[in-house]
Amino acid sequence: MAGNWLLPAETTTSGRPVLRPGEVEFSLQPSVDLVNEENPNFPTFKSGLLILTTYRLLWLPNPESTTSPSSSAAVSVPLAAVTHIFQSKRSIKGMFASPRVRFQVSVTPEGRVQERGSKSMVITLVLRGKSDPDSFLGKFWEAWRGKAWEGSVSGSVEGVEGPGSLGDGGGSSSSDTGLALKMPVVGVSGILRKEQEMWESTDKSLQDAFQDLNALMNKAKDMVMLAEKMRQKLLSGSNSQANVTNDEEMGSKEEMQDWLLSVGIVSPVTKESAGALYHQQLSRQLADFVKIPLEKAGGIMNLIDIYCLFNRARGTELISPDDLLRACSLWEKFNVPVMLKKFESGVMVIQNKSHSDEEVFSRIRSLVQKPDALQTGVSATDAARTLGIAPAMAKEHLLAAESKGFLCRDVSPDGFRFYVNIFQDIDPNDEYLVKEYGVYDAWIRATIASR
Amino acid sequence: MRRRAGIGGLQNAAAARDQYRLLGENVARLRTDLMKEQLSTFRSQLEDFARKHKNDIRKNPAFRSQFHEMCAKVGVDPLASNKGFWAELLGIGDFYYELGVQIVDVCLATRPHNGGLINLEELCKLLSQRRKGAREVVSEDDCLRAIGKLKVLGSGFEVITVGKRKLVRSVPTELKKDHNEILELSQAQGFVTGEEVERRLSWSTGRATDALETLLDEGLAMIDEGHRDGKRRYWFPCVSSVSSFVASETI
Repeated sequence: MAGNWLLPAETTTSGRPVLRPGEVEFSLQPSVDLVNEENPNFPTFKSGLLILTTYRLLWLPNPESTTSPSSSAAVSVPLAAVTHIFQSKRSIKGMFASPRVRFQVSVTPEGRVQERGSKSMVITLVLRGKSDPDSFLGKFWEAWRGKAWEGSVSGSVEGVEGPGSLGDGGGSSSSDTGLALKMPVVGVSGILRKEQEMWESTDKSLQDAFQDLNALMNKAKDMVMLAEKMRQKLLSGSNSQANVTNDEEMGSKEEMQDWLLSVGIVSPVTKESAGALYHQQLSRQLADFVKIPLEKAGGIMNLIDIYCLFNRARGTELISPDDLLRACSLWEKFNVPVMLKKFESGVMVIQNKSHSDEEVFSRIRSLVQKPDALQTGVSATDAARTLGIAPAMAKEHLLAAESKGFLCRDVSPDGFRFYVNIFQDIDPNDEYLVKEYGVYDAWIRATIASR
Repeated sequence: MRRRAGIGGLQNAAAARDQYRLLGENVARLRTDLMKEQLSTFRSQLEDFARKHKNDIRKNPAFRSQFHEMCAKVGVDPLASNKGFWAELLGIGDFYYELGVQIVDVCLATRPHNGGLINLEELCKLLSQRRKGAREVVSEDDCLRAIGKLKVLGSGFEVITVGKRKLVRSVPTELKKDHNEILELSQAQGFVTGEEVERRLSWSTGRATDALETLLDEGLAMIDEGHRDGKRRYWFPCVSSVSSFVASETI
């Protein structure tokens, strides 16, 4: 099967790759071809988006060239399967052709990319975009050598304050495991001693890790685990000792839960990684991100709230309000389920497309066809109460429905009132003709009944 | 262990149990104290790093995600840029953007209590609490400048002046449910007074005034200053038509 020599990759509805836990994007390259030069029988992948992550090389088809959202066409090469990356050769010929990056991967005898496959194959990346091939090659090397996937495969590394971390001599935690097992924990004193050692080792690892930035980078994984443990203990500790009302403790607990701080986006799109594709990719990432908060907020949200939530999820990788606005305005080009809406007052909101006009109109239509409303009409306030939205918003919707011809307005001292439009049911040639089961018919019945 | 018989044995066992319990409690208390101490060290170190090595952290995507995770887990805000000279002078740099995000964060967090209307003073106080790691105090002027940066995202976020105080409104009229509550309240009599709104819905004066003024602007309310008690009444003809009230009063 030459068709699936690469592994398939998942994408989200807005065309962003689905990353694995802990996977982070390194670099994005536009219009890249994937070619197998040794065996031209294999299908080539033309002019797609190449994404280098800490775990994989992902190739996504160009959304503009493919008509259908063929998410299944996205493919990946695990970096673990890469056995060699060739240095680029400079030649006269290379000055005119698009830069190429070659690397060797291990494959199964059938020619499928796999870790530790028995055969090998050379894949060529043809970079047609206006990007710097050398910097990409550098990042490729860095990601490949970083071997970030190994940590994720072998599961969680041992905890910092686990039994293994006696921490004498500052050795790595895993190598001390044997020593820990030799020391028997006997009786109360044993337990106490163990506690003591645990605290000392935690203290020490904290000290070590925060010496300078490089130390922290090396110990990052352990520190993340330590943070998680502290959090768990603090949260569970104050629950179990509910009778001990310690103000300080409650304060810090609240601090942890109250904040919107969250690592919602592990791999934020940045200018550095995405380059020219920045706004386009940002737009897609944003579309994926807003789904959950929108659902919680009932399908509509202030753009500024989104700005805060999105930036919070991105951590230190802040985007400016202008970038957010550009990302939102790009949605019109993509097939995403959300949209930006601007009110006349200048307020901008993000809403689900399903939440938009069609659904609201159908609810307004059913509202104005109730017997009461047929006689007295509805005001913006009535609509607001029934639809569960603010009056100002309800008025907008009613006016929009009016402009579509569903409603007619009546202006009186009581204010604006809207009635169902029965003009469209009246036949201009025979105004006395009442079609059965039409709105006109229903209106006549309601009027007669009230007399 | 051999079990000893008699009252003496029982008393011994009880005493031992007590001792163990006491010890256990002590250890537990010690443990919590120690952990709190370590946690605060952890936090202050992270805050320091976030401030000092911001650019280095951002350069390395893999480490960045780990750093964020640490911050989120122990409750440290990774946004801690110093204002610096250029930010103060020209409004450039990340400081005001970061502050903007934090301001919206505070507004979102307090929204359940205040309905999206917060006193600027209070906002500054809450911000300073959260930025206690940073040495600089956040002034009201800083807040106003940071809010100004959000203008691009529509007019949903604004500073309004009620009396002498400045209030920050984070919920635009289009998305505000406060008005619905007032209308609900007015159904009983056809009108409400500001006082009544504050009392019945237990809102602050600013929140009530703001909501009533907006309803007035929208043309949903009419005011009546001429009543005997001297309190301004807001009538809502849209809730139930005026004529029906006139009729019921004359009868």
